[in-house]
Amino acid sequence: MTSGPDFPPPADRPPIRLVLSDDLERRRLTVFFRLFMALPHLIWLALWSIAALFAVVANWIVALFQGGPVEPLHGFLARFVRYGTHVYAYLNLAAEPFPRFGGRPGYPVDLEVDPPGRQNRWTVFFRLILAIPALVLLSVLTGYQYQRSETGYTGAIGLLVVAAVLGWFFSLARGRMNRGLRDAVAWVVAYGAQVWGYLLILTDRYPTVDPETAIGPLPVRDDPVQLDPSGDDLRRSRLTVFFRLVLAVPHIVWLLLWGIAVFFAVIANWFATLFTATPPRGLHRFIAAYVRYELHVYAYLYLIGNPFPGFTGAPGSYPIELRVAERARQNRWTVFFRLILAIPAFLLNAAFGSLLGVIAIFGWFVALFTGRMPEGLRNAGAQALRYSSQTNAYLSLLTGAYPYSGPCLAPAQPPPAPAAAVAPPDAP
Amino acid sequence: MRRRRFWAAAAALLAVAALWAWAAQALWASTDPGPAHLPHVDVSRFFSDSFLSRSASYERFLAIDGLLATLALLGVLTVYARRGHRLMRESAAGRVGTGILLGMLGFAIVWLVEVPFGLAAVWWQRDHGVSHQGYLSWLVNSFLSLGSEFLFISAALAVAMGLAGVLRRSWWAVATPIFAALALLFVFLSPYLIPDTHPLQRPRLVAAARQLEREQGLSGTRLEVEDVHRFTTAPNAEATGLGPTGTVVLWDTLLDGRFDNAELRVVLAHELGHLAHHDVLKGVGWTALFLIPATALIALLTRGRGGLARPEAVPVALLVLVALQLLATPLFNVVSRRQEAAADWAALEATHDPAADRESLRHLAIASLSDPDPPSWTSVLYGSHPTIAQRIAMANAWEERRRGNAGN
Repeated sequence: MTSGPDFPPPADRPPIRLVLSDDLERRRLTVFFRLFMALPHLIWLALWSIAALFAVVANWIVALFQGGPVEPLHGFLARFVRYGTHVYAYLNLAAEPFPRFGGRPGYPVDLEVDPPGRQNRWTVFFRLILAIPALVLLSVLTGYQYQRSETGYTGAIGLLVVAAVLGWFFSLARGRMNRGLRDAVAWVVAYGAQVWGYLLILTDRYPTVDPETAIGPLPVRDDPVQLDPSGDDLRRSRLTVFFRLVLAVPHIVWLLLWGIAVFFAVIANWFATLFTATPPRGLHRFIAAYVRYELHVYAYLYLIGNPFPGFTGAPGSYPIELRVAERARQNRWTVFFRLILAIPAFLLNAAFGSLLGVIAIFGWFVALFTGRMPEGLRNAGAQALRYSSQTNAYLSLLTGAYPYSGPCLAPAQPPPAPAAAVAPPDAP
Repeated sequence: MRRRRFWAAAAALLAVAALWAWAAQALWASTDPGPAHLPHVDVSRFFSDSFLSRSASYERFLAIDGLLATLALLGVLTVYARRGHRLMRESAAGRVGTGILLGMLGFAIVWLVEVPFGLAAVWWQRDHGVSHQGYLSWLVNSFLSLGSEFLFISAALAVAMGLAGVLRRSWWAVATPIFAALALLFVFLSPYLIPDTHPLQRPRLVAAARQLEREQGLSGTRLEVEDVHRFTTAPNAEATGLGPTGTVVLWDTLLDGRFDNAELRVVLAHELGHLAHHDVLKGVGWTALFLIPATALIALLTRGRGGLARPEAVPVALLVLVALQLLATPLFNVVSRRQEAAADWAALEATHDPAADRESLRHLAIASLSDPDPPSWTSVLYGSHPTIAQRIAMANAWEERRRGNAGN
């Protein structure tokens, strides 16, 4: 009689997984001093990384000869990656308690790493080279770069930094971390753990930026502006992928021309909503079509969708579908200050935009060779596009709902009819 | 009833054909190309034997390369006309949008097929020192220029397919004047669409241009310099724009010291001659005349695919349009050569300097490695200008006539 595990892991379970048990509660005092409080951990992590460097070289040689890592080295490096996850989660406000220095399990943003398994020797040998695209993507998600040019400073800030900075203000004000911002940080931290796990030969599964794989089941949100990518089957036409940039030119020109009209429509919408609290039906429909069209064009341009989109932004006309709810009453104060209130969303949108650009470049090469867009890249890109559309909808007063910063899903079906149309349940 | 309709249609067609012929005759006659018969010129008096042999070999390669590229273009478009409609599955854009996609993809495939011929031409030009553009730079620029090409195709197909959806078979009758109007708008705005230009800043040359302008009955012509030295060493100039946007554009390779002021004066006078003769406007007129039978034929030949209202007819329309353009190119070249000859004559009349004219032509040929006396088949297919030999002959003829007038 043989014995095995009671609950065998599902075949598609990622070998390096994030386990989130954070309750979003934050102490303002530790939030305020978070950067300084994390310094001992950052120093310890740096020292530990020196030892990890020697361990990974040994692990690489062993894995090359044995076809997989050995337990002591694997355990040491897994603990190192787990500790890094704890530290970065703490530093970026995805978790509250001060982490332990040993990387033991049990932290609210924790990491599970599968035991050592067999790995393809070729991928072990070329691991450093193979990891380059994942490292580039990670640097876009975590880093910030700026450079001085003739016209001033230009730069890009990663999603992790923007979400952490916004989360810092939010936590200080509310004593709680915003769920969306926490999930955005957790997404990047989880992806970072996968990348490091791959680089340190803990697994040969290539890191995926798919938010669902990274942080587990995503919240299903019934937002007024929802993105549903379920119509896309990931297949891509190599011909249209190769020429995607130039094929999108007529759409970009049309988007610019339509955008001029929308600019004035949004101003009119602002005045109308300020006085009546509800956007006029015609303006709402006109601007919603534009926001939907913009989503279609960007989905096409960035390879998140495959077919050539129509020029009208008609609902249901594209596999990457944007659902915009009917107009609803909005708070006049938030309408009046909409431009200022949208500033944090602009910052996050810029970070998502950087991610989208890298996704498009990597996706272009992959789709050109395989005829398919990797699901992880498509899903991450869809999240970036969803945030962009929600930001545009918020700014143009289509909705008063603030863009949701974390990864999320849309309900499988369009939202049910308004409550008023449904018969109330019988009284008990 | 059916017979009466047939005769009515035949009469209408005849009337349109007569009107077309009258307009073509009027446009043709509006350009005076100078003397009808030019004396023969022995080009070896102006160019060394080694240059003549080198330029002939240089142009022969480019002509054959161009011819092969044209054959490839026709082959690809023929296949595309048969199978292109299968790409409709790549569209979620409705009738017109799908047609636009098919139009763009047709030219995208043509671009792919023509890349080797383009690279061969770049290699040949680099090898002969006429161009110093890198292969990658050429490839990227060529790829990105597809964007503007796609914009034109999209606009044209949106108009044609939109009209075909409403007017069915007779869309071409309305589309042609719209296309002509769009062409007019484009040439009006074209001086502002040329990248990397700046105003001519040589006071002596500007003063000379203003004087030549007055002599040719013009005023307020914009004088611009286009920076092209990063890509080519060949010198060139063009007249563009209409009325208030009339502009003479000199390539900066003309101003790098190889041409003296007298020669540059001739070049300016030639381009101003084009503006004085309204050649840009006449070009739009010729385009409109070409479009009438072209659009009618497209409407006729796409009926098998349900007419141009259907996106699956677009690949066929592309083939018909390109084939007609290729057939019309020698005719357009005849018109263009006539206009260039007229501009040459105007430049001689304005500058009274045939020696500078001959020298500028000699320098132009040497710098561009142009064969001064190419075979007639290349002139027919690619010759938008009279040959250098013919242009030198014109300068000689002008000089002879002046001597004759002085003698009288």
